[in-house]
Amino acid sequence: MGRALCLAAGLMVFVPIGAQGQSWRTVTMSRQLQSNEDVRVFVRYGAGHFTVRSVDEGLLYRMNLEYDEDRFEPLADYSGNRLRLGLESVGRNINLKGRDTGSLELELARGIPMDLDLEFGAVRAEIDLGGLALTDLDLSTGASESVVDVSQLNPAAMSAASFEVGAAQFTVRRLGNLNAERIEVSAGVGSITLGLDGRWQRDARIGIEMGLGSLELHVPEGLGLRLRKDSFLTALDSEGLIKRGDVYESLDFDSAERRVVIDLDAAFGSVAVVWIR
Amino acid sequence: MVVVHMSLLRRTLAVLGFAALAFPVGADAQLRQIVSKTVSASSAAATIELEFADDGALEITFDAGTVYVDGEAVGSYEPGNALDTAWRDMLADAMTLENGALAAMLVEWNAADHADGATDTVVEVDRAIDDALRVAQEQADAGSESAAMSVENRVTLLRALVGSANRLGALEEALEGIDARFEVHTEDVVVEEGSVVEGTVVVIGASLRVEGEIEGDAVVVGGALDIRESGVIGGQARIADTRMLRNDGEIRGGLVDVLEDEREVEATLRDRLREEIRAEIRNDLRTEIRNATRLEHDNGFSIMSPLRPVLRGVGGVLEKLILVFVLGLLGAGFLSFAGENMDAIAETARKAPGRSAMVGFAGSFLLIPVWILGAVALAVSIIGIPVAIAWLPLFPLAAALAALLGYVAVARNAGEWLADSNFPWTGWIRKSNPLVTLFGGLLGLTFAFMAGHVISIAPFLGVFAGLLFAIGAIITFFAMQIGFGAVILTRGGRKREYTGVYDPDAAWEAAMSVDIDDDLGPPPPSSEARDDDHVDRQEGGTDG
Repeated sequence: MGRALCLAAGLMVFVPIGAQGQSWRTVTMSRQLQSNEDVRVFVRYGAGHFTVRSVDEGLLYRMNLEYDEDRFEPLADYSGNRLRLGLESVGRNINLKGRDTGSLELELARGIPMDLDLEFGAVRAEIDLGGLALTDLDLSTGASESVVDVSQLNPAAMSAASFEVGAAQFTVRRLGNLNAERIEVSAGVGSITLGLDGRWQRDARIGIEMGLGSLELHVPEGLGLRLRKDSFLTALDSEGLIKRGDVYESLDFDSAERRVVIDLDAAFGSVAVVWIR
Repeated sequence: MVVVHMSLLRRTLAVLGFAALAFPVGADAQLRQIVSKTVSASSAAATIELEFADDGALEITFDAGTVYVDGEAVGSYEPGNALDTAWRDMLADAMTLENGALAAMLVEWNAADHADGATDTVVEVDRAIDDALRVAQEQADAGSESAAMSVENRVTLLRALVGSANRLGALEEALEGIDARFEVHTEDVVVEEGSVVEGTVVVIGASLRVEGEIEGDAVVVGGALDIRESGVIGGQARIADTRMLRNDGEIRGGLVDVLEDEREVEATLRDRLREEIRAEIRNDLRTEIRNATRLEHDNGFSIMSPLRPVLRGVGGVLEKLILVFVLGLLGAGFLSFAGENMDAIAETARKAPGRSAMVGFAGSFLLIPVWILGAVALAVSIIGIPVAIAWLPLFPLAAALAALLGYVAVARNAGEWLADSNFPWTGWIRKSNPLVTLFGGLLGLTFAFMAGHVISIAPFLGVFAGLLFAIGAIITFFAMQIGFGAVILTRGGRKREYTGVYDPDAAWEAAMSVDIDDDLGPPPPSSEARDDDHVDRQEGGTDG
C-alpha cells in the first residue's frame, strides 16, 4: 500500500514537469532501522493533509512530502535516538493562495519502542497508530479534522497518552488498543468522538476537558464505564448508564472484566454515550 | 539451530565478553548499505541523496540545466531532454525502493543508455554512482567470508554471538533464570499454526513468529517477536532490544522486557529532553499558526479563514444568549422583589415612551455632572465626607441598576407585544407568565444582533449583517433610554403618575366596542358642570 502510494505520487511528479507550479516540490525520505532501541519521534506539520501509519520493511521511517519550497523546507533529523520530522517554515508567512495545501505521509517503524509526539495545525489528519509500539503519546492539533485509529494493539504498555485539540473535528477509534493506563483529552471547540472499543489490557482512566462542543463516546458492550461529570451547561445523554451518587455507571460496571473511568470537565455542549455491539 | 545447555552458553558468553574485543565483526549486506535516502523533485530540480552505513554519502542533483555531484557542478543538460527524463524516471523508481534493492537498481541504471552520446555529464554521473557502489562491492567481497555462515553447529553460534557482541549484555539478562534445555536460533523462526515446540526457544538477531505453541519460554534478543492470534507461549516472552511486532496471541507467563530497568533509568533524562523539545516545537508551531492567521491582514487569505466566520458567528450568538440569560435572571429578581415597581416602570414606558425617552436622554447626559457635583457638594462639609465616600461608588452602581431595571421593564413590554403579535415562533410567549414574557422580550430585543451573527457566517453577506447590527444597536439604545427615563419618571417605580388609574368604563368600552354613554342615556355632566352642581348643592344646603 505504502509503495503504491509512493509510486502514484512519483508518477505524478516525476513525469516531465511543467504543469505544476514551480515552487512545489515532492520529497521522499526514508531511513533504515539500525537498532531496536527506543526512539523518540517528534513530528510537526502546519497545514495540509497529514497521514501516519506503521511500516514493517526494516525502515525507521518513510516520509512523503509535498510542499511549497519557497515557504517550507522538510525537517528530517535523526540523532541520539531522537527523530524529528515534518515541515518547517522558511518564510515569514504561510502562503497557501491559489493552490491546494501540501501533504505529509509518514510511515513509522512497527514494533520499535517509540515515544511519539505529534503536533499539527490546520490539517486534515488520518493517523493509524496500529502496529506502533508506543511508550508515550502526545498529540496536539489546532484547527483540524483528525481521525486517529489504533487499528492494532499497542504491544508496549503506555502509562499516559494525551490528546490536545484546539478547534477541531476529532475522532479516535479503538482507544482500547492504545494500551494506556491514563488518557487525557483536552478540547477547546469542536466535535469530539472517542471510540472506546479495542482490546483493553487493563483498567484505565480518561480525563476529558472540553470547552464548547459535542462529545460522543462510543462504548462497546461489556466494557465497564463510569462517568464523572463536572460541567456548566452540558447536556448528557446517558442512555445505558445509571446514576449512582455523583457518577454515572454502566449496569455491569462492577462485574466487567475491564473498566474505564471517565472524568469529564465540560463547559458548554453535549455529551452522548453510544453503545456499540 | 543449536541445542545447548545454559552452562555452556554462559561459558560462551563469558569468553565472548573478551573475544568480542578482538574479533572483527562481519558485514551483513551484499551491497553497501544505504541507511538513509532522500529523493526530491520539483519543476526545476530532481535530486537523490544517499547516506551509507559507513558514513559515506552521495548526492546527485539535476537542477536547471546543471548537474551537481556532492554539491559540485560536473556538467550540464537540456531540461526536458532524454537524460533529464530518464533521470526523473529513475528517481520515481527510487522512491519505492530501499537499501539493497535501491543499490541494485542504481547499479543497473546507466545514464549513457539514455543520453544521445557519452557526454562528459553522462560519464560523470555514471562514474559517481559506480564509485559509490564499487566501494560497496569491495566491502561485500571483503566481508563475504565472515558474513557467510551456517547455524548448524557451535562454531556458527559463536560467530553469531560475535556478530552480536553489542547484545551480549542483553542476552545474558534475557537468559537469566532459564536453566532448562533450549534451542538457539540465529535465523528467522516461524512456529507454524498447529505445531508445538517443547522447551524454550531462544532467537538471537532474528525474528520469531509464533502461530503455534511454544511450551516453554520464548527469548528474543536483538530481533523481532511477532505473536499472531493463534500463537501461544506457555512460559514467559522475554525480549531484549527487540521489536514487538504484534501481541495478538496468548503469553501465559507474561511479557518481560529485560531492559525495562534501563529504560526507566533513561526516563528522567528522556522526559527532560522531551519537554524541552516539545516546548521548542510548540512555540515554533504557535508562531507559525499565528503568522498564518495574520495573513488575513497581509493578503486577505488565511488557513483559519474558513473556520473563523463560523466560530465568530456561533460565538456571537452564544454571547447574546448568555446575555439574555443573565438579564433574564436579573429580571426574575426584579419581578420577585420589586414586582410592583417594575409594573409601574413598564406601564410608564408603554404609555409615555416619548417622554420617557427624553427624560432618559437627559438623565444620561446629566449622570456624570450629577455624580461629580454631588461628590463635591458632599465633600465640602465634614459630615458629608463619609457620605461622599459612599456616593462615589454607589451612584454609578445605582445608575447602572436603574438602566438595567428600565431595560428589563421595556423587554417585558416587548415580550407582551410579541405575545399579542402574529409573528411566527412567538406562540410560546404567554403573557400569563411574566418570566416567560420577559425572556421573550429579551430575545426579541437582541434578535437583530443574533440574526446578524448568523448571517455573518455566510460569505458575501457582510453588508446585511452590518445592517442588522446597526438595527440591533438602535433598538438597544432606545430601549435603554426609554427604560432609564421611565425609572427616573417613576422614581424607581414608586411614583405611578403615568401609569393611570383603572377606569372600568373605559375597559368595558374597549372590551365590548360599545359606547356606554349612548346606551345608558344622556351623557354625564362635565367635570366643570359636576363641580358647579356640587357648589350649587353645597350653597343650597347652606341656604336650606
